[in-house]
Amino acid sequence: MAGALGVALGLGGGIFLVPFLTLALGFPLKSAAAISLSTVIATSSSVSARRAGNQLINLRFGMTLEVATTAGSLLGGITAQLVAESTLERLFGVVAVAVAFVMLGRINRRNVMVDPTVDTGRLGGRFHEAESGGVVAYRIKRLPLALFASFIAGNVSSLLGIGGGIIKVPVLNAWCGMPLRAAAATSALMIGVTATGGAIIYYGHGDLRPLLAAPAVLGVQAGSWAGTHIAENASVKWLKLLMSALLLVVSVLMFVRSLR
Amino acid sequence: MNRPSPARLEVMIGEVLRFGTMASSALFAIGLVMVLAGYQSRLAQALLQAALIILLATPATRVIVSIIEYFRERDWMFVVLTLVVLAALAGSVVASHL
Repeated sequence: MAGALGVALGLGGGIFLVPFLTLALGFPLKSAAAISLSTVIATSSSVSARRAGNQLINLRFGMTLEVATTAGSLLGGITAQLVAESTLERLFGVVAVAVAFVMLGRINRRNVMVDPTVDTGRLGGRFHEAESGGVVAYRIKRLPLALFASFIAGNVSSLLGIGGGIIKVPVLNAWCGMPLRAAAATSALMIGVTATGGAIIYYGHGDLRPLLAAPAVLGVQAGSWAGTHIAENASVKWLKLLMSALLLVVSVLMFVRSLR
Repeated sequence: MNRPSPARLEVMIGEVLRFGTMASSALFAIGLVMVLAGYQSRLAQALLQAALIILLATPATRVIVSIIEYFRERDWMFVVLTLVVLAALAGSVVASHL
């Protein structure tokens, strides 16, 4: 039933699973979003468990942004009452296209500094990068923008049944100075907590049925395992191209959904 | 190659997530196989329910472990930030009963 769509770009894969469940299998949106959130949690936990220890995950920065994502997730219910779902989807589509082009425009720019001794500030980080064969460092820029993007990501997370990585990863990479791999790994950790907030609410309201979640979670686990291996062996340039392509596909899906 | 050594917290978080993922996936798999084999028993339902609850509890446990570790390191700024995250999750539990 579940197409294994966990892609290791710091995304939970919910962005593809929800359209699949609603458009192809005819699930109601609430049920699809709830199932999707549980797969987001599963992907986040398993991917981060495998990555923990190699410094790609920026814990301090991630936990700072989690404040914004969880607050956004909790307020998602309020947003749902103020804005029509179709408006939200169209807005999402426009943002996705814009971000895709920003990423394509920066495809050859790197955020990492090859000198590992450079001061990274309180929230920056350093990690071992295979491509440059050494330890690289980065600084975080524009923290308010990162917090804002995380808030929006958390906000749409519970509404659309996604982790929100599709919003955070491109923003963190394009404007906040974070290397793509670090942004993806940190986002992957964050989406677990973000999605849990939304999933708890669906569960409490009886919209998250364990029997429906089981095959989706197991399928996505298999997919995310493959995704991690792909992401680790692919070049950053290729990952940026893939991310941009995904953003464009997603924006089309969102427009299609908003017309229904 | 001198890789920076991973922080204690990163290793602990990895363990929590690994255990949570394995436990919930195993229970989901057993429960699903039972249902597909025609055992629509209460045991199968209970296993699936437990799997889902472990899945939801895993990220929350990770946050709690972070709070304890930042507390141990006397990193008050991050104790506060992680407490706020936990409070938001608690808020979701409250909201789920409204």
